[in-house]
Amino acid sequence: MLERRLYYHIDWLLIAAIAALSAIGVAMIYSTTHAGPNAGLYVRQLYAIGIGAFVFMACLTIDYRTLADNSLAIYGLIIALLVGVLLFGTTGGGARRWIELPFFNLQPSEFAKVALALALAKFFDESRRGSPSVTDLAVGGGLTLIPFILIAKQPDLGTAVTLVPIFLAVAFLAGMRLRLLGILLILAVLAAPVAWRYALKDYQRSRIATFINPEQDPRGAGYQQIQARISVGSGGIWGKGFLKGTQGQLRFLPVAWNDFVFSVLAEEQGFVGVIVALGLYLFVIVRSLEAARLSKDRLGAYLVIGILATFTFQVIYNITMSAGLAPVKGLTLPLMSSGGSSIIATLAGFGLILNVRMRRFTN
Amino acid sequence: MAQRVEPNHWRGTIGRRTAVVIGAFLLWAVAIEGRLVHLQVIDHERMAAEAEEQQSRNVPLLAPRGDILDRHGDLLAYSVDLDTIGAAPREAGDPRKAVAKLCAALGDCTPDEVRTLVKRFNSGRGYVYVRRKVTPEEARRVRDLNLPWVVFHKEPRRFYPNLSLAAHVLGYVGLENNGLAGLESTYDQRVRGRDGLLVVMNDGQRRTFSSTVVRPPVPGASLELTIDRYLQYIAERELRAGVAEHRARGGAVVIMAPHTGEILAIANSPSFNPNVFTKAGPDQWRNRAVQDIYEPGSTFKMVTASAALETGAFSPNDVIDTGNGVITLGSRRVTEYEGHRYGALSLTDVMVKSSNVGAIKIGFGLGAERLGAFVKAFGFGTRLCPDFPGENAGMVWAPERWSQSSLMSVSMGYEIGVTPLQMAVAASTIANGGELIQPRVVRAVIEGNRRIPVRPKVVRRVISPRTAATLVEIMEAVVERGTAKAARIEGYTVAGKTGTAAKLVNRYYSRSDYNASFVGFLPSRQPALTILVVIDTPRGGKGYAGGVVAAPIFQRIAEAAVRYLGLPPNVNPLPPLIVGVRPRPVDVAGPATPLLIAPVAGPLAEGQVRLPELRGLSGREAMQVLARLGIGARVNGDGVVVEQTPLPGTPVEPGTWCRLSLSRATVHSHPVVTP
Repeated sequence: MLERRLYYHIDWLLIAAIAALSAIGVAMIYSTTHAGPNAGLYVRQLYAIGIGAFVFMACLTIDYRTLADNSLAIYGLIIALLVGVLLFGTTGGGARRWIELPFFNLQPSEFAKVALALALAKFFDESRRGSPSVTDLAVGGGLTLIPFILIAKQPDLGTAVTLVPIFLAVAFLAGMRLRLLGILLILAVLAAPVAWRYALKDYQRSRIATFINPEQDPRGAGYQQIQARISVGSGGIWGKGFLKGTQGQLRFLPVAWNDFVFSVLAEEQGFVGVIVALGLYLFVIVRSLEAARLSKDRLGAYLVIGILATFTFQVIYNITMSAGLAPVKGLTLPLMSSGGSSIIATLAGFGLILNVRMRRFTN
Repeated sequence: MAQRVEPNHWRGTIGRRTAVVIGAFLLWAVAIEGRLVHLQVIDHERMAAEAEEQQSRNVPLLAPRGDILDRHGDLLAYSVDLDTIGAAPREAGDPRKAVAKLCAALGDCTPDEVRTLVKRFNSGRGYVYVRRKVTPEEARRVRDLNLPWVVFHKEPRRFYPNLSLAAHVLGYVGLENNGLAGLESTYDQRVRGRDGLLVVMNDGQRRTFSSTVVRPPVPGASLELTIDRYLQYIAERELRAGVAEHRARGGAVVIMAPHTGEILAIANSPSFNPNVFTKAGPDQWRNRAVQDIYEPGSTFKMVTASAALETGAFSPNDVIDTGNGVITLGSRRVTEYEGHRYGALSLTDVMVKSSNVGAIKIGFGLGAERLGAFVKAFGFGTRLCPDFPGENAGMVWAPERWSQSSLMSVSMGYEIGVTPLQMAVAASTIANGGELIQPRVVRAVIEGNRRIPVRPKVVRRVISPRTAATLVEIMEAVVERGTAKAARIEGYTVAGKTGTAAKLVNRYYSRSDYNASFVGFLPSRQPALTILVVIDTPRGGKGYAGGVVAAPIFQRIAEAAVRYLGLPPNVNPLPPLIVGVRPRPVDVAGPATPLLIAPVAGPLAEGQVRLPELRGLSGREAMQVLARLGIGARVNGDGVVVEQTPLPGTPVEPGTWCRLSLSRATVHSHPVVTP
């Protein structure tokens, strides 16, 4: 259990920043939904944060090395759950994503990120060479590809894509040769037109097309992007005030409490509020990177990097999208968007990050 | 765990590579902040406006349009809220079927309308009109269909209950409740009121969730006109009959009260029904009485004579030699009407016989400058009435540029363009003792419960009362023994002047197309009415002269009007009414008093006056008498005074009231009470 001396190394600042972001999220969810049919959503979010706090403590208490030793089992369990979702999952919005539980619907894909980070950290930690070989990368890539395909099949390409940064970041920080990274990038660029032609569905293609020119379809695919831009812009410097935002509350912004929670923040709290939230995210990310740097061993560093990679990727993508600078994709803003599994899995991830930092002096 | 090959190699890699990652991350943060500054600071106004625009809709709350009433308060125009049928095509399904359903209920769609409706349903708009301002019956039939995508809302529709009556004065109102002609146009701003504003908030699904009245509608003002519905009817009836009888192209009648400038009637032919004004055309819509100009011809000799007498250049008995009825100026040769040779004529007879040569000689005697000044003073060449949109100012050339030939023409009413209204006003000026009073058709504007009367406005004195009186005598003679015998009315003295003017057709004076006109007023010494009749191009077998065409129309209108107004006759008036009071039952013991002629004749106190006998006088005369004494009148009925309280001879103080009962039936039959 938690030894007394470890208690002194808990990063309270990071916890405070995470709590602050979660609180902002709850406030924004309340603000956009309080007058509508989803009025109880913020309560669910509070419950999820409560459960998340327990999971967070569990992930903090158990030594990350013990968890890493069992990473294959955890990874296996998640894969089984993902297969289970495909077979028995609950359908919502045209995709099978959830497993129905008594109190809430579990979304295994959110937890797949943590599990994958654990598994990849453990794997690259065990490869003792200075930089990972092609074989190492192939195995790591394979570990990533299995949940990627299972999630993409749901279909939930957005969440599946968030697995990729985990692999890339861990491999990159494990010393993957830059030449290899370059080759991967070139391959990605070459694959893009092929993917455009064969892999993407029509609605995905239209999303990208309308991103480039949203006005070509202001009532259809370009609608959300235009509305996000209007929400952010109409907030101005000081914002319209708490509960005073109209874009989200009047549902001009679809599912504002989820994908576009950042736009709601920008509308109600203005530029000032956005700067605060952005600063908090920046702090969380840089502080976590410090945990990686301070880590006692490679395993800890890779684990932090893996978890942080998917977190950062989602933050960057969601905020960029909320500001109308990226195509609309169903990617939530971790810690702030409503979503039980997302907040629990994110808090679990930060439990592990604090875990690594806290144990930097132990043997 | 401690024995690694390169124990700390990974730390260096991580250190370097995290630095790169943090750098990239900070770059992103800067980019995002730049974007946020752009959206939230620079573009803020535009974005806020866009948000506002998509979240709220401004819906006008239509203000009820004011009524238009005649001088007695009878409705001439009013508005009723009717249903307008709209539809949401997106929810209606197949446009063809939807339109077929609606048309089945409406019952009278033309194939054209069906096509238009289908096109509208296919337009992709969220809301389209099906039919606006339908009858309650049509609305009920469509409502009974119970279609969820059909929307009803109220729109005001203008109604003119008297159909074409006074159509040109009233004008008409367009589909958007906007006055398009006549008073509806001139007074549009006030009659229309001010629409209110309702802001409707809607959500992202275009569902309305709240609405706020930002500005309540202000109902429009009502207009009380000087028009008398009955006189208007008489004028229109007689004009229509006259135009038909003489197969004329059109015509106009103006009836005015000369002392007040109030226009009692303006009739035009052809006319139209303002309820369905689109079925008529510009020819019917035109208010000829104020918008058309014509060369007045001989009626204008009134002006020439006024100038001659007022300047002292001539007196009524001055003899003017009209020779053999021909006057020449260069190559121009003017003759008398129908080639008469009048020889030496007094100025009065020049008017009575309407001698062109005489009028020209008077004109020459005056000169362009003096005649021109009077032409202007009588109001020709200027707009007289602010109530009419598109009033024509007429055409009067500047006198200093008149040639001798022009002077000849103007003297007898040619080379000058006037409107019928201007001519009526000129006659009224003479009738009114020489003061030009601004003609007006709006007597009062009623805003809410406030009645704002329009005050009569004296524009200027044109001629002296003496000159006016002389002219009245001359014009009486015109009717009595001159060209306008057809205008005579039994029991009343009438003053007037005929006019017959050849029309300009293709730059030459026509020998077949004339404007026949008559303008007159009566009773001539105490005028209550000025009536002008202009008939455009009479072609009947009876001729085209004003005296045969226009004067009889004047006579018919005037006869009906004096009967209606109960004007007492002033020629050989019936002896004054003697009203007796039946003796009261008297005390047997007391002295018997057979009849009390002056029952109350108490002593006069300081400042008191004795109430005169008013019975037998016309209402107008009685009120004038009372007004001179400073006593108010409360009048009941119309016609002549048959009862007055207090009784004659009663001492009264100025400022008190006298109650008068008027009746019309007694004009011709006196109830003479004898003891």
